[in-house]
Formats: sequence, structure tokens, C-alpha cells
Amino acid sequence: MHSFQDLILTLSQYWTAQGCVLQQPYDLEVGAGTMHPETFLRVLGPEPWNVVYVQPSRRPADARYGENPFRLGKHYQLQVLLKPSPAGVQALYVQSLEAMGIDLSLHDLRFEEDNWEAPTLGAWGVGWQVMLDGMEITQFTYFQQAGGLALDPVSAEITYGLERITMFLGRKRSLYEIDWVPGGVTYGQVRHQDEVEFSRYYFELADVEFLRTQFDGNEREAVRCLEAELALPAYECALKCSHLFNVLDARGAVSVTERVGLIKRVRRLSVACAKVYVARREDLGYPLLAAEPAERGHSAEPGRPGEPGEPGVEIT
Amino acid sequence: MPRGEFLLEVRCEEIPARMVRRATQDLGSRIFQELLNRKLTPREIETGFTPRRLAVALKGIPGREQDRTEEIVGPPASIAFDDHGKPTKAGEGFARRCGIEARDLERVKTPKGEYAAAVVTTEGRPTLEVLSELVPKAIAELNWAKVMTWGRGVGPWARPVHGIVAVFEGEIVPFELFGIQSGATTCGHPVLSPKAFQVAGFTSYRKKLGKLGIEVNFEERLSKLEVGLSDAAAELGGIVVDDQPLLERLTAMCGTPGVVVGKIDEKHLELPREVLIASLRDHQSAFTVEREGELLPAFLTLMDRADDPEGFVRRGNEWVVEARLEDAAFFFGEDRKKTLAEHAAGLGRLSFHEKLGSYADKTERIVELCKFICRLLDWDDEAQTAAEVARLMKGDLVSEMVREFTSLQGIMGGVYARAEGLDEEVWRSIYEQYMPQGTTDSIASTRVGRVVGLADRIDSVVGVLGIGLTPSGSKDPFGVRRAAQGVVRIALEGEMELDLDLVAARAYKQYGDRLEESAEEVLAIWRPFLFDRIRHILGLEDFSYDEIEAALEVGATNLPDLRARVAAIHTVRDEPGFRSVVLAAKRIANILKGVPEQELRADLLSEPAEKLLYQSYQKLKDEIKKAEHEKRYEECLRTMTSFADVLDHFFVEVLVMDENPDVRNNRVALLQAIQRSLSRTAGLTAVVVERADATEGKQGNG
Repeated sequence: MHSFQDLILTLSQYWTAQGCVLQQPYDLEVGAGTMHPETFLRVLGPEPWNVVYVQPSRRPADARYGENPFRLGKHYQLQVLLKPSPAGVQALYVQSLEAMGIDLSLHDLRFEEDNWEAPTLGAWGVGWQVMLDGMEITQFTYFQQAGGLALDPVSAEITYGLERITMFLGRKRSLYEIDWVPGGVTYGQVRHQDEVEFSRYYFELADVEFLRTQFDGNEREAVRCLEAELALPAYECALKCSHLFNVLDARGAVSVTERVGLIKRVRRLSVACAKVYVARREDLGYPLLAAEPAERGHSAEPGRPGEPGEPGVEIT
Repeated sequence: MPRGEFLLEVRCEEIPARMVRRATQDLGSRIFQELLNRKLTPREIETGFTPRRLAVALKGIPGREQDRTEEIVGPPASIAFDDHGKPTKAGEGFARRCGIEARDLERVKTPKGEYAAAVVTTEGRPTLEVLSELVPKAIAELNWAKVMTWGRGVGPWARPVHGIVAVFEGEIVPFELFGIQSGATTCGHPVLSPKAFQVAGFTSYRKKLGKLGIEVNFEERLSKLEVGLSDAAAELGGIVVDDQPLLERLTAMCGTPGVVVGKIDEKHLELPREVLIASLRDHQSAFTVEREGELLPAFLTLMDRADDPEGFVRRGNEWVVEARLEDAAFFFGEDRKKTLAEHAAGLGRLSFHEKLGSYADKTERIVELCKFICRLLDWDDEAQTAAEVARLMKGDLVSEMVREFTSLQGIMGGVYARAEGLDEEVWRSIYEQYMPQGTTDSIASTRVGRVVGLADRIDSVVGVLGIGLTPSGSKDPFGVRRAAQGVVRIALEGEMELDLDLVAARAYKQYGDRLEESAEEVLAIWRPFLFDRIRHILGLEDFSYDEIEAALEVGATNLPDLRARVAAIHTVRDEPGFRSVVLAAKRIANILKGVPEQELRADLLSEPAEKLLYQSYQKLKDEIKKAEHEKRYEECLRTMTSFADVLDHFFVEVLVMDENPDVRNNRVALLQAIQRSLSRTAGLTAVVVERADATEGKQGNG
């Protein structure tokens, strides 16, 4: 199974079978799957949440006119969020690789320290980059803080870099040679023009004044929404600011001192959104707490076989 | 089940390589210390770890605590016992409180009279019980560089814990931690050997894991990996390019030290050696292989398994390395489209520090500071080249290559300058700008390289201190100490005869109004850092502490000169008479403490001893002055030494604190003048000498 779409299908199927809600990409430009409200807002507060979705993620500064075989201005992440992080989450992840057809008895799988921090989100976590035969295939993070708030329960976030994994499993020399459809349409045929045109836009064409106006406008709008205690609309405006900042930065329009200031402004918004969201969920009586099955025992977490002291296939 | 042996294993998710080794040792010594505190001292301790397990074995622990007997003194016997010697109500109450029968009360004689006493024996607890109390605490209280919580707020610890083996003499030491019950069951590799098995003691534990290919002993693993790597390199016809930190990191990252041998496409050998090594090391944690100084088209890295039956691990790593080197070649090509000067033109967009401006600002400051330094040194030939280098030296910070491999900063600039065909002095100075990094590597090989390196560091230190970011304790995020160390080593070993205070003051001025602290404050903070590094570095040269302190008292920040003074004291201190002059200097300092400056009048000198002293001083003064001027410091000190006898004679014959204030003040003035001369070369009073009572004269403290 070495096609892009098969990978999406397999992972979505695997994680929905583990009880995840199958969500869809957020319909805005975001830099990573983490910024989707299904992760950034859901990790807050006491309510449980398990979700899987694909998120096209934009990194304007990484755009390369479709010429670099390893870099993209937009790539696809498959994001899994498990809240609270189950005791057997690492084992669940390992099984997802087996579901992808990787026979781990023949490969070298290692978890190397890689902590994650997002200053614009007031968020950080600890975890690993997961290396398969020397290739980074996944970011695995235990969320510790988001929107400046300490998290309890803690969520586990698993982010698969879809292009890299497909490229690696198919031993392709370039991202653009990946099969999107098995033996059919390639990644390049689907996306190359997108990369070329957006590279030109980000680096040459984007109207700096227009972007700045948009940034200011969205910031004002976010503040108005926050005053009305509308967490989700406010957060959307914050996301727009974040993307606008990234485009301005790629365009070379952000000076050294301005950069720090803009990051602070976005951070302020996301921190405020987090606060309002938490308050709103409390007002609503944490509806998802009621839906939660009875408190699960330590050994009864999904996918965690065996009894305590009998490790089974659990990752230890 | 070995007698007196306690085995602990904490199984968890992968602990970062940088933390796991120290944590294991820490865990072992915490438990050891706790047992020691309870007089349950183990005879032996062994520790081991893999990324997923911390193991501690303590051997020869006594089976239980010793019983403790203590005597508790109660009320006076007259109150505790009645006339018939039977316990009274008070006596019974006391016995009850002590947990013994009243009839077991005893009488003890004390200096205050006879008292009732209870002899109480506390039975020692079994070691198993003690362990079940202290071990979970020791695990939970480990110090980590970074901790996390998981699930419903479980933790904090470095990573989630999954299993605990705690066995004393084959028996489970029961406790619960992080929702885990301790037991006697563990398992091998989570994927390759997940089957659970029982353990009773450390030997069987290691043996059973060994059968699964897992080695918990770090040193064993390290040497296995080292042998594996050098065998693999030999098979390729070369040797491993040495990288001890990488070797240790990889050893900490595995339980089974397997070696992967991969090929590199020959065409990539066209990349600069530095780039190949950095790319393989930083991205792939891989070693390079060389023969007669030339890299071979191969790399070696680690897999956490013994074999690679289908070649998947090798092919995977090769694919990644190929992609990485393609990437590096692409970056190299992109960077080479611009000259280094063109790269440097983009430094305005790279922040040095929010308050200290961009790297373009920094570059301007370094250029000017280089000119200033060359003027101070009279290095006219270097001045122009240094300014040219300074303009280019930070250019590589905005290159693709350095953004990718920060470890190549400076080196890449040098490589690009070399490829552009710039003079060797120029590219080498850029290449070596960050040297030295520590205490063992060398300083830049060119004079220009030293000038720019010095200017860059002083600019950084002054800037960082100037905005109040003084390092404290172990916190030094801007590397002020390391920069100060670099300054000291460059100035000393580069024989740069210049006053570093002047350079720092100039660096301060160049910041204009960016800095928040005053120039005086910055210099006042800067000096201790500098002095601290000087002490450290000169200390490494076998100079003793007091020799360095004595030279530092002169306050010179001209380091080669300072070093010459230290060396002079070192040489002269054991010569006859030196001790006497030091003692005399100390005595003078004592007498003159807090005394205001007096005027010396030769006509008021009356006693022969003071006249003699004055004449000798006149001669001494000029000799010292001349030798000082010519930097012949040993001679200065010897001149002073020759003066010791006259001084001693003076102190024996003359009382400084004469009743006549004019005479007294004049003698004080004479001593003040002498003190000035004696203090020119070094602070003699800082030199440690044995006191000899015989030379203590009749002078009291002035």
C-alpha cells in the first residue's frame, strides 16, 4: 500500500475503529493540524475527545516553486487526538503502523525526543519524533499546555506526515512522484501547479498593504467576537491573523522588531479564545462529560491488552 | 534469589537520551542514601538502563533494621514511686505513655537525683517494608530536566511509566506508583520480544534480557557499539571519523546496539567534507568513514536491533541520507548563487536580539570594534583585512545551509569564501571565528581571526549585560560565560597586548542608546566574569590561586601582561627574602589601613634606620619603575626582595606611631610611598606565606 489516498483511508479506518470521530479538514488556511479547533480547543477543559482528520497545512516560507523534491508550501497531515491520553497510546500507534502493512519485526522503530512548542498558540508539549529505519514518520506529543492554560487531562497528539510516509514506503525520489491513486494519478499531477502558483504569490505577488489591513481587521473582529463571548468565531479570526502573518513573513515584509510584535498579537488572541472557550464549555455543563463511558480502569484502556505486570504487546 | 539483593526496574516510554543516564545513577544513589540513613547499607550498587527501562540493583542489604533500645527518663523517683517502691498514679501514667507495663519501670541516678525511667525497645522493621516505603518516593522525586503529566493528570515524570519490578531476595516489594502496582514481571523489546517473564534477581534479569539481545549496562553497550562501528569501517577499508558525543548519544538511545552500514552516492563526495559530516551527524545521527583523510562513500549508524534480515533498515537509512544529501546539495547550490557579501547584505532581517538590533547592526559594530582593537595593538597590517572579514563573517547566518545546520555557522561562511577565491587569511578567519568553543580546542590560527573573534564576543557580552541579562547560577542562556572564556583564551594565547576594559568601554559606546545599564554598571558586572575565567584558565596552567589573585589585584585587563606578572610571582616566590618582603608589605598594609594620605618631607627624617630606608626607597623606586616599564616583572619582584632587610631593620628600630604627630605623619608618608612602589607589579599582600613570629616587631596596628 504505497499510495497517498490508501494511506489516508487506512489510517482513518484504523483510528475510527479505535473510537475516534472522523472529522474533516478545517476550512481555513492553517499551519498545522494542531491549529484545527478540533485539537486546539478540544484539548482544553475536562471533556474527553477522540478525533482523527486530515489537515492540509500551509507553510508559505517552505514553498519552493514546485522545484524542491522534499519541500512544500502546503503539505497534508493526518492528525489524531486522544483525550485523555490512554495508557496504551504508544501501542495503539505502533499497531497503526502494522495496519499500514509495515512488518515491524523487520524494521527499526525508535522514539527520539522532540518537544513541541507553538508560541502563537501559547502551547507546548513533550514527546518524540518517531523514526522508522532512520526516517521521521510521525510527531507524537503529550500536550501539556494550550492557550496558556495547563491541561488536565492530558491529550496525546499523533501527527503523521502523509507525503513523507508515502514517499518513504514507495522509495520515491521526489514528493511529486508519489502515487496519489494506486498506479494512477500522481501527487505532482494533483498539486504541482498549486505549489508553483502559491510560491509566486507568497514570494512575489502578495500585496503587503492589503495583508496588513486584513491582519488588523481580523484582529479587531476577533476582539469583538471575544467581547460577545463567541469563542469559535474569535478563534477563526485568530487563525486568519496567523496565516496572514506567515504570508507577510514569507513575502519578506516583516522586520525584525515587527516580527516579535505580530507573534505577540496572535498569541494574545489565541490565549483569550482559549479562556472564553473554557468558560463557554463550563456554562454548557461540559456536555461531553455525560457521554463519557464509566471511568475506565487502568488495564481496560482501549488497545491495551493484558493485565498490569503482564506487558503483552504494550510499548514500554 | 540472592540474599540481601534488591532489584528495581522502572519500565516506561522512551526517555530522552540526554536525561536517562544521569537519572538512573540518581535513582540508584537516592535509594542507596536512604538505606544508608537507616543503617541498612548495601555492599554494592549496580545500575543500568535502556531508553525504556531504568534498572538498579543493590546488593548485601541486611534483612531488617536493627532493634533500637532507648531509655526514656520520666518523673523523679519520689513522685513515680510510693514509699513501698510501687508505682504511683504518676508512675503508671508515664509507663503507659511509653508503652510499657508500670512494673517494668526502672530507677536511674542522674546529677539531679534519682528518676523513674522506661527502657523501650523498638523492633527494627523488615527491609522489605522499608523498601516499599522509600522506593516509590525515590522514583517519584527524581530530578528531570523536563517533566510531563499524562492521562488524567498522572505524574509528573519524564515519560509515562508502564511497569515496575521491585524484588527483594526474590520477594515482591509491594507499592503503588502512578497507578502501577509493583511486581516481578518484565518484558523485552515492545515489538521484537514483548513476552512477559519473571525475574528474581539482577543476574537472572540481565541474563534473560541478554538472551533477548538487550544489554542494560551502558559501558557494555558503548563498547559493543564502538567495536561494531570500527569493524564495519575496517570492512569498508577505512576508519570511523571520531565523534564521542554522538557515540554516547546513540548508546543511550538503544537497548540492542546494532550497526547499520549504508552507501552514499559517489557524486555527493563533491560536497564539502564539513557539510557531509554535519548532514550525516545532525540529521541521521550517523558517522562518516574516512581513509587517509578522504571521506568514503559510506555512513554508519545505529539500529535498536541485532540484525537487518531483509535489509529494510539499511535501505531506509540510505534513502533518507540520499534525500538529505540531495537537499544539502540543493542548499549548497542555492547559496552559491550569491556571494558571501550578498548574503551579508540580508543580515538586516535577522535579529541578534530584540533590544540589540539585527545582525546588520552587529556587523557594523564588529567592523568598528576590529579597527579599534587593531589600533590598540598597533596591528596596522591586519586592520583592513579584519574589517573586511567582519563585514562578511555573519553572512552565512542567512544562508540556506546554516539555517539547516546551525552547527556549521562560521564554517560555512569560510567554505563559501574559499569557494569564491578570497584570500586564505580571509576565509580562514571567517571559518575559525567561533574558535575556541571550550577549553581544549585551539584559538583561531590567524591574527585577523583572533581580532574578529574577540570583537564579536566582547560586543555580545557587553550588549547582553547592558540589557540586564546577567547570567545567574546555572542559567546563562546567552552564553556570556562561554564568550568571556573565549575572550580570555584569545587574548592570552593570541598574545594580544591590549586593555580589555578599553575594548569593552568602546563596545558599550557603539550601542548608542540601546543599552539600559550604565557603562560603569556594565564594566562592574563584566569584570568579575572576566576575572572568573582568568582564574580558571590560568589555574589550568599550574599557577596557584594566590599568584593569580596577586596579579589580578593590580587590576590589569591586559591579559598577556597579567600572565607575565603571575609567572613572575610563580618564579620568584621561593627565592630567599621574598617571604620577608611579602610579610613587610602585609604589615605596611595593616598599619596604613584607613590612614589618610600624608606628605613626605625628607628633612623631618631623624632616626638612622628611617634615613636608611628613605635612601633605599629612592633607589628602589626608580629601579622598579624602570623594570616595570620594560615589563621585566621578575626583576621588579627581586628588587623588592632585596629591600626586605632594610624594611625589617626599620620596623625593629623605629616606632611609626610616634607621639609627635609631625614625625608620625612623616613616617606614615614614607610607608605610603613605599607601599605604592611595592604594589606596582602585583598585590604582594595577596600572596600566601607562612607567618614567622620572629619578624613580628613592636609595631601595633596603626
